[in-house]
Amino acid sequence: MLVFIAKRFLWMIPSLFAVSFLAFVLIQLPPGDYVTTYIATLAASNEIVDQNTAAQLRERFGLGDPMLVQYFKWMWGILSRGDFGISFEWQQPVSDLIWERMALTLVLALSTLIATWAIALPIGVYSAVRKYSIGDYFFTAFTFFGLAVPSFLLALVLMYIAAVEFGQDVGGLFSAQYENAPWSFAKMGDLFSHLWLPVIILAVSSTASLIRVMRANMLDELPKPYVTTARAKGLSEFRLLMKYPMMIALNPFISTIAWLLPNLISGSVVVAIVLNLPTAAPLLLQALMAQDMYLAGAFVLLICALTLIGSLISDILLALVDPRIRLE
Amino acid sequence: MPNEILSRGITRRAVLGGMAGAAALSIAGRAFAAGGEAPALAQLVKDGKLPPLAERLPKKPMVVTPYEKVGTYGGSLRRGLRGSSDHNGILRMVGNQSLVRWNLDFTAVQPNLAERWEVSGDATQFTFHLIEGVRWSDGHPFTADDVVFAIEDCVKNTELYSSTPAQLAVAGKPVTVEKIDDYTVKFTFAAANALYLENLATPLGQHPTLFPKHYCSQFLPKYNPNLEADAKKAGVTSWTELFRSRCGDIEIPSRWGNVDKPTLDPWVVKEPYAGGATRVVMTRNPYFWQVDTAGNQLPYIDEINFGISQDVESLMLNVISGKIDIQERHISVLANKPTLSQNMQKGDYRLLTLVPSASQQCQIYFNITHKDPAMRKMFADKSFRQALSMGINRPELIDIVYFGQSEPYQAGPRPTHPWYNEKYARQFTEYDADKAGAMLDEAGYKKGGDGFRLRPDGQKVFFSIDVIPTLYPDLVDALELVKTHWAQIGIDMKVNTIERALYYTRGDDNAHDAAVWPGPGGLDPMLDPRDFFAFHPQGSRYAIPWTLWYTSNGARGEEPPESQKKRMKLFDEARSTADLDKRGAIMKQIFDIAAEEFETVGLCLAVGGFGIIRNNLRNVPEKEPDSWSWPNPGPALPQQFTFTS
Repeated sequence: MLVFIAKRFLWMIPSLFAVSFLAFVLIQLPPGDYVTTYIATLAASNEIVDQNTAAQLRERFGLGDPMLVQYFKWMWGILSRGDFGISFEWQQPVSDLIWERMALTLVLALSTLIATWAIALPIGVYSAVRKYSIGDYFFTAFTFFGLAVPSFLLALVLMYIAAVEFGQDVGGLFSAQYENAPWSFAKMGDLFSHLWLPVIILAVSSTASLIRVMRANMLDELPKPYVTTARAKGLSEFRLLMKYPMMIALNPFISTIAWLLPNLISGSVVVAIVLNLPTAAPLLLQALMAQDMYLAGAFVLLICALTLIGSLISDILLALVDPRIRLE
Repeated sequence: MPNEILSRGITRRAVLGGMAGAAALSIAGRAFAAGGEAPALAQLVKDGKLPPLAERLPKKPMVVTPYEKVGTYGGSLRRGLRGSSDHNGILRMVGNQSLVRWNLDFTAVQPNLAERWEVSGDATQFTFHLIEGVRWSDGHPFTADDVVFAIEDCVKNTELYSSTPAQLAVAGKPVTVEKIDDYTVKFTFAAANALYLENLATPLGQHPTLFPKHYCSQFLPKYNPNLEADAKKAGVTSWTELFRSRCGDIEIPSRWGNVDKPTLDPWVVKEPYAGGATRVVMTRNPYFWQVDTAGNQLPYIDEINFGISQDVESLMLNVISGKIDIQERHISVLANKPTLSQNMQKGDYRLLTLVPSASQQCQIYFNITHKDPAMRKMFADKSFRQALSMGINRPELIDIVYFGQSEPYQAGPRPTHPWYNEKYARQFTEYDADKAGAMLDEAGYKKGGDGFRLRPDGQKVFFSIDVIPTLYPDLVDALELVKTHWAQIGIDMKVNTIERALYYTRGDDNAHDAAVWPGPGGLDPMLDPRDFFAFHPQGSRYAIPWTLWYTSNGARGEEPPESQKKRMKLFDEARSTADLDKRGAIMKQIFDIAAEEFETVGLCLAVGGFGIIRNNLRNVPEKEPDSWSWPNPGPALPQQFTFTS
């Protein structure tokens, strides 16, 4: 097991390089660069940018170098001094901007995961055990509705109701007094009191598919001879369900842990923007639009790293949970 | 806060006269000499943490006449920003403190940090007399040294600014600023710069008052030998980066990202505008140098709270639920008007009317200098452009896209402007498809078998028009209608919706067939004449190569025809003419030539936007110009906005 983990860690290094390089190329692919965007912004307010100024800006940001050189300079900075470069737009070191946002993104991702599982697992098992019952149909209809409603629309509707009907403050993850306060237990409490809305919105759309998967897997397992044997031996129905069929049916849940983060970031961009969440997605989108490439690159790199770590975690968990899986 | 309640309670009496307000304030337990100050500041003075008001104000502070009435202290003003690159949203509200400022009507320049000035007869020398005793927000005196430092040491430092900002250079040479005495500075230009005062009143004229010497000099190698080490310590690559991140510039986010930088603004940064910020909070500047007519120190309002919305819809939600006190930026598009009008009672606000300073809502620029000779020949054919202009059904377009709120228009100053030119504004705006078709036939663009016209070389007439949907969604709708109108006269066009940076890249490469943009110069024709001749290298999109020729004095680009050269010469002449009537006469010549040449095709007069003002926010003009040169609402002086309970 330890050998397997060590091997996987070693494999992560080339994968990260490949991914970061791809990300860097992709960010550079659109026409123009940060300076073009900057000139566009200035020109919209009728300022004439002298050609010399533009050239000088490109030189200042090292945009004149060939892409490979830019990439290696950036990577060297990260590896040698943990320096992710400067955000052009904010004139701040990238590392100042990303960590808190990534942390909040992880909090949101994990909360969403827990909420999704807490809803989907019991309902999935219930739907399988009580197939074609009223409850099964009800939950199926309800979750399909959740799947069909676009999450940003749900977010807007809920915000509208909360703001216009109840006069509540909506959006964001903190109350005004905690927004820029240092971390404390009170601030944590405030965070969780705001977190439920985005978590519900994001969970609603992902529960439906998980319920269907859980239900199908359980239905595969329930008629198997070992279940019948167990029943004949007089195991209580609950223990019987939990002992084997449930463990095996959990397989898809665990193997998708790794996708959770990229899915959450890409899938929740619109929700995060609508709800004004201080997570990674809105800042990443802005960075991409402004061609602020070191900022965007750092986010992509981190998301990839977390995805690789996530997939390692799922593999280890699968080995623990599913008796059919062996690492050798 | 009991003090606040007290000061709120005196509103009605404060109207009766300045002293009443002051007397009522004295109930809040403070002695005062001339006028009042905010209760919180009075408390600080009492605690010995702040010098008394008389020492914080200039000897003769600038007196601002409140728009409606003398106000009361207190309150927090809420306004919205967008998530990215919205630093100018802050500038427009607070950062408007230049040497001079615009009046409310956008017609004359008034004293600001300079209480008076002299201009030499040839408009090359400007001598400004600063208000004596103004202090930066940290209490340090503001003197001529700061102005000299800002221009001579900062703006003219070629490592910091590789080329001098257009404002401060004439005839290719930067301005020279000298200190006459502590409160007098002289600006000398290499050639006449008659528009300098007007330019100085715009946001881009803020350089002279932007950099406090006592603070920013530590980021210049000239004053700080250890600067490179400091930069390394701060984790940036060069001293210029460090300077920019600490002292900012007129139009970059970091201007609002440093709480330590002293300013001359009514409010100073408390919670900075930095990457990832979800709000920006600005709090009153205890050393602000203006008072109201009763001698009370401005600003009235304690703090400004800018919430950052990633999305306009959530900003709209905040507006209609009454969580925003004044907002026009980001919500002023016509499509929002019904929603905002319906919710006036719920949100407890009134509407604010914006008078557009632009001339044209949607100017179509055919690329007369196209790379493809056949396309160039077609677009350069004046009768082709005239026919296309007459093939547009403007009344229908105005009804559908602009709710009937506009009138057919081509270009030039707005009808209310003294230099308005009827021919330039209205020619070829009547809809006549038959005549347009006949003109196209005559010009050699005959219809082919499919009903669309062919060029003389047998190719189908087809071109695309670039437009940025994220910036101006209404222009996309307008173009879609124009496309149907042109199809009826046999012209095939593609509405090319592209991303903003690509729009500019295509322009820089002269790779566009045609593009649209709102045509400026309706109220400020001198400040942005991009439509009147090839003036703006990113904006005069009918002939970018000609603009390069103009801005590089013939070194780059492509030599323009005589009529363009003549206008360039006239404009340079107008720019150096101090006498307004003479200047107008020269500009009118430019409009006559431009009308004759008919280079751009416009659709309709620029439509006014609107905003909202909460009903308890007073002293706000309900009609104001909407322009970057008059950076609303700044020139309406938010420091004298006030809340009534």
